[in-house]
Amino acid sequence: MPNLSRRTFFNRMADGLHGAALLSLLGPDLRASEAGKVYDLKPKKPHFTPKAKSVIHLFQNGGPSQVDLFDPKPALLKFAGTKPSRDIVNEIEFADQIGTMLPSPFAFRRYGKCGMELSELLPNLGECADDITLIRSMFGEHFNHEPSLYLMHTGRTLPGRPSLGAWVTYGLGAENQNLPAYVVLDDPKQLPVNGIQNWQSGWLPPVYQGTRFRSEGPPLLNLKPQGNLPNALEAAQRDLIHRLDVEHRQGRPGYAELEARIANYELAARMQVEAVDALDLSKESEETKEMYGLNQEATASYGRRCLMARRLVERGVRFVEIYIERQIWDNHSDLESSLRYCCGKTDKPAAALIKDLKRLGLLDSTLIISTGEFGRMPISQIRDNGTAGRDHGPSGFSLWMAGGGVKGGYVHGATDEIGYKAVDKRVSVHDFHATMLHLLGLEFRELVYDRHGLKERLTDQFPARVVTEALV
Amino acid sequence: MTLHAIRIGAAVLLAGTLWGADVDKSGFENSALPVFRAKCIVCHSGAAPQGSLDLRTAQSALKGGKSGPAIQPGAPARSLLLERVVSKSMPPGPEKLSETEIAAIRGWIERTPPMATAAITEADVFPIFQMRCVVCHGKRKQEGGLDLRTRAAALKGGQSGPAIVPGNPAESLALKRILAGQMPPPKLLFEYFVRPPSSPEVDTLRRWIETGAAPAPPEPAAAKEYKPITEKDRSWWSFQPPKRPAVPEVRARGQVRNPIDQFLLARLEEKSLRYNPEASRLVLLRRVSLDLTGLPPTPEEVIAYERDTRPDAYERLVDRLLESPRYGERWAQFWLNAAGYADSEGIIDEDRIRHNAWRYRDYVIRAFNADKPYDRFLVEQIAGDELADYKHKKEADAETVEKLTATGFLRLVPDGTYSPANGSIPERMNVIADEIEVLSSTVMGLTVGCARCHDHKYDPIRQRDYYQMSAILQSAYDPYDWVKPTERNLDVAPVEEKQAVARWNEPIEAALKKKEEALAAKAKPLREQILKDRIQALPEAVRADLLQTAATAEKERTALQKYLAEKFEDILKITAEDLAKKFPETVAETGRARKEIAELRAKLKAKPDIRALYEMGGEPSPVFLLRRGDANSLGELMRPDTPAVLRAGLKPYQPAAPFPDTTGRRLGLAKWLTQPDHPLTARVMVNRLWMHHFGRGIVASPSNFGRTGVAPSHPALLDWLATEFVRNGWSLKKMHRLMVTSTAYRQSSAIDTAAQSADPDNTLLWRMPLRRMDAEQLHDSILLAAGRLDPTPFGEPVAVDSKPGGEILAKGSRSGWRRSIYVLQRRTTPMTMLEVFDLPPMSPNCIERSNSTVSTQALQMMNSEMIRERARFLAGRLMDEFPLQREKQIEQLYLRTLARRPTAHETAKALSDIDKLIPYWTDHLQSEQSAGPRQETARWSSLASFCHAMLSSAEFAFID
Repeated sequence: MPNLSRRTFFNRMADGLHGAALLSLLGPDLRASEAGKVYDLKPKKPHFTPKAKSVIHLFQNGGPSQVDLFDPKPALLKFAGTKPSRDIVNEIEFADQIGTMLPSPFAFRRYGKCGMELSELLPNLGECADDITLIRSMFGEHFNHEPSLYLMHTGRTLPGRPSLGAWVTYGLGAENQNLPAYVVLDDPKQLPVNGIQNWQSGWLPPVYQGTRFRSEGPPLLNLKPQGNLPNALEAAQRDLIHRLDVEHRQGRPGYAELEARIANYELAARMQVEAVDALDLSKESEETKEMYGLNQEATASYGRRCLMARRLVERGVRFVEIYIERQIWDNHSDLESSLRYCCGKTDKPAAALIKDLKRLGLLDSTLIISTGEFGRMPISQIRDNGTAGRDHGPSGFSLWMAGGGVKGGYVHGATDEIGYKAVDKRVSVHDFHATMLHLLGLEFRELVYDRHGLKERLTDQFPARVVTEALV
Repeated sequence: MTLHAIRIGAAVLLAGTLWGADVDKSGFENSALPVFRAKCIVCHSGAAPQGSLDLRTAQSALKGGKSGPAIQPGAPARSLLLERVVSKSMPPGPEKLSETEIAAIRGWIERTPPMATAAITEADVFPIFQMRCVVCHGKRKQEGGLDLRTRAAALKGGQSGPAIVPGNPAESLALKRILAGQMPPPKLLFEYFVRPPSSPEVDTLRRWIETGAAPAPPEPAAAKEYKPITEKDRSWWSFQPPKRPAVPEVRARGQVRNPIDQFLLARLEEKSLRYNPEASRLVLLRRVSLDLTGLPPTPEEVIAYERDTRPDAYERLVDRLLESPRYGERWAQFWLNAAGYADSEGIIDEDRIRHNAWRYRDYVIRAFNADKPYDRFLVEQIAGDELADYKHKKEADAETVEKLTATGFLRLVPDGTYSPANGSIPERMNVIADEIEVLSSTVMGLTVGCARCHDHKYDPIRQRDYYQMSAILQSAYDPYDWVKPTERNLDVAPVEEKQAVARWNEPIEAALKKKEEALAAKAKPLREQILKDRIQALPEAVRADLLQTAATAEKERTALQKYLAEKFEDILKITAEDLAKKFPETVAETGRARKEIAELRAKLKAKPDIRALYEMGGEPSPVFLLRRGDANSLGELMRPDTPAVLRAGLKPYQPAAPFPDTTGRRLGLAKWLTQPDHPLTARVMVNRLWMHHFGRGIVASPSNFGRTGVAPSHPALLDWLATEFVRNGWSLKKMHRLMVTSTAYRQSSAIDTAAQSADPDNTLLWRMPLRRMDAEQLHDSILLAAGRLDPTPFGEPVAVDSKPGGEILAKGSRSGWRRSIYVLQRRTTPMTMLEVFDLPPMSPNCIERSNSTVSTQALQMMNSEMIRERARFLAGRLMDEFPLQREKQIEQLYLRTLARRPTAHETAKALSDIDKLIPYWTDHLQSEQSAGPRQETARWSSLASFCHAMLSSAEFAFID
């Protein structure tokens, strides 16, 4: 509402206009304030009409093994037991634990009408094969977790830059002002590698930082006071602050910051109600709970977060990221049993998310992404104790996407004969970022933030291209 | 041939002739050439093609231009040209290449066979040796007597003979060992973060030796084709020295307190504006107290100031605040943010604590409190180690310690290079790049970082400027001679501190020694028994020797024993687990002994040391311009120097070694920066002071004085302040005093409608802005108002606590909680209270914070147990101090939180609000079955609720 004069604006304030309506007015007006630019979460127009409105990012910390899950490599049988090449040795984290070529202990099957080949460990995802795009030619830049997590989340291997969710909410704002725009559902047992830095807004204003929702207990830090105070008492305290603030504002006419502050306290009160409601799974049917695996111990924790993600997206949350307990996909040893454990925990809930969104008609507007920070090596890693595992492999790995304007039943790109390195239709992490922004209606070169005179962007100065082949 | 003569570009020089045969001409002419003709050669052809890149023939395209080869035959992904067109940074105009056109170029690159033998010189193998070998065969360590830093040294070889034999790869030991997989030694790969050379690197090395191991080509006589700096470039306002302007005359003489007012009023009068009336005395008291000390005035200070009716009461107040030790605690915070201060290394998940970083924090606080002149402050921080010849002193005096501590300034950026998996050469260079960013943004107000990969796009900062600055740091930060950050500490401390630690540790160490010896003595026969059992499987002949070896201390072993120790490592090594397995009956006792030892060890105090930046000694490795910032792509040799555009009025940069064993590179930089006429140093600092006092800098982009920055709103005022700053001996306190005693600063913040329409952004400063407290002001003010502030200064940081709900709090003590500047600033555990109020991550630093209004702030204020505790405490205190005097309690509460008395109306409202809360609390306590006097508790809780509302209120958080 750029033509609204300050005078009209404040007259309308006096009329008692408040809450969400107020917030929708604040953006352009506050930019002129001497406190510098004020950033907000009001919805912003994308650069072009998007397919996806929101994102659910299933982050698989640790680096899921592509040759055991997504990218069948029969040639490994042929080379089994042979020594790796110098180039593989060069890229290994634990250079003193190098083993030999290791064929997957798991069989691959064809799934769906498209006949996509996936591991026998992923029967549920297999049922959704016709709804997903599988990229087998991803490649990263670093063989260690921390830099690779930063790369996947921020476009550089260093800490301090804004994460994907921060960029997206910076570009698009929020659909629902009563909930945070960017929600993080971390595992109650343990934070991922890099901890809270994964969802920081870096040098973007902190308003774009991810907000942690807990899947057990009160969803948000300090959402409620400790000690179980009755609602009436809480309401009385809120009224008290409101009274003081209104009197304070009356003595200082013309300051939009003070209006924003009052609106902000009102928003916090509404959030108390809506956040609790959004995460209240008791309102879901038994069938839905069963679908997400809430009734089995193995899947219950991840399933809860997947179902919460759906409820948040339904309510207009822009970006939800789900983490897994620490880095369970980091299968350095005991490859067979540890991968069984990981898939047993995640396969059913992730597939349920696709199916559920589809049946609710939300899949077309919701982009689901599942990826780790890298893949793993086709050779074994030998540790003193335990059976063989695989070391990190950044040169080639797989990720899948579903909904939000990506093709179903499509496989993009390929790694070499042994699954070590992406060779065909290679997709860099920057390409992937550009593609995600594109699906949301954002042109990656134009989504910029001015910092120290530099036009910063998610893909930084790296070359990037949208993977157009994967788009509907 | 010395390393300094190494030159790159052999491939480029020879490419034209040698690659010719391999270029698929028909392929080029049918695929890429039509695209180049249509879209590229308008710039990339002719006698002086753009970027020296000519795209008319396959050879010239392969040869590349200024940024290096345009394509990598066979490797589209590594081809610069493709990168540029795919990212659409080329062509520069609106018309980009279509997907088909890009595909045509990609196809051509894919089909072009990788280059055949080009002449390979020392310049090509230098980076390979540097990356793969010099960690053990270099400056500090020369295993086997071998140094691989230069061709000459490699020819000379080590104990086993020459490392390379020109023309004879089969006889070249270096190559043989690499091919056999013996070098680098597989066992050391992880520890030293070294990887064996890749196949192309081995190939390069082999061909270099095969073709005679040619030295690097001689330095070309002509300078490289860098874009020269023009007079126009130098004429940019911020690159010209500040000139003392005349102070303008103004009409509103009565509003002038010092020249600042004249400069501001002159501009206001042009628009027929004037200052707002002066703010009320108490508003001013609160404003200037929070501004200079980060804390509101106490009720006693309010009352004393009310009573002080002398005409210069305000000026006296300002002097008192500037003399308060709280001043340094406030203003050091801004500098620490600019410098990127943190108590942890970051980068890696572990986020290792920097056990001694706080000494630098204390140095900064003390420097501010002592009003250390800014030029000296800078010199000490950039080159303190070059001011104090600590290496040749037996005991460091206090001054030496102080100067060394100051150099912590350039040791603050995130640094994960202590981890073997994060210490590669490019990652070390990232650390240096971050330090350059801190230095340039904080001290020079310039962005130099982007010149790491290419010339600055808007400012006349060239890529070589970046690498010349990097060369200044090279004598302390050498990526090829790296010391891990965890080992980069100076064992220097004040004598008293050293002695105190020694006195403390001595008895503990003695006790430890006794216990450890007793444990070892008990285990000795058991170990011998295990060993005897183990060697039964071995041939008789070695048994005795092995027993002998085991019985001999490592240092005293003969060559044979050493050999045996290595060969039978598994047999000789007997771990605690082995002992426990074999003799389970001893487990309980040894466990107890171990626990006692661990407990004792925990009591030991760490030897005091300093996190410093210091000269590594000897000749640093050469610094090369890195094309596209790529550590493998060496360009021209760089000498230490400062940015070429900054010349006007300045003495040139000159390394200045004050004593032997130091290069003087950083001292030269510090002296260059602190010349009185430096165009940036004084301007950048006074601008930041102005920004913190008035809410916005005269240059509104405080870290960017370049072309993309914001032009100064009052250029003459900025220059006057900059020159005044230098004239006053770079005294910060004098600048503060000047600013906060101006009439401008003393205005009210009320919005005047007429002025508002004439100057809606308040650029001309017709009023003071209303400002919300920043995170630290808010945190500390709540503590002070509640009577919970522990004023203890300095020392090791206060630990933080992660609550089960996720809130991160500072630990308190019986005396309360300390100011936020003293709380551990670990990157992964920022205090929640600070974080929600816009505490920026240090990545690497922050010059200007953003200011957000988000609902998590409201939730924090309303519901955090921490604020509730403060409110309850405050209420209890009010009731204790003024029992049964409810009006007095309210008055005191207003004084403590808002530094004013309540109006009669406010008191009445407050009392009725509290009364309304009492029944709610009574009900609640009833339903909770709470013990104790419920009525009394309900009264206390209701007053606490009101205190809580006051601490959460807008009036508390905002500064008029």
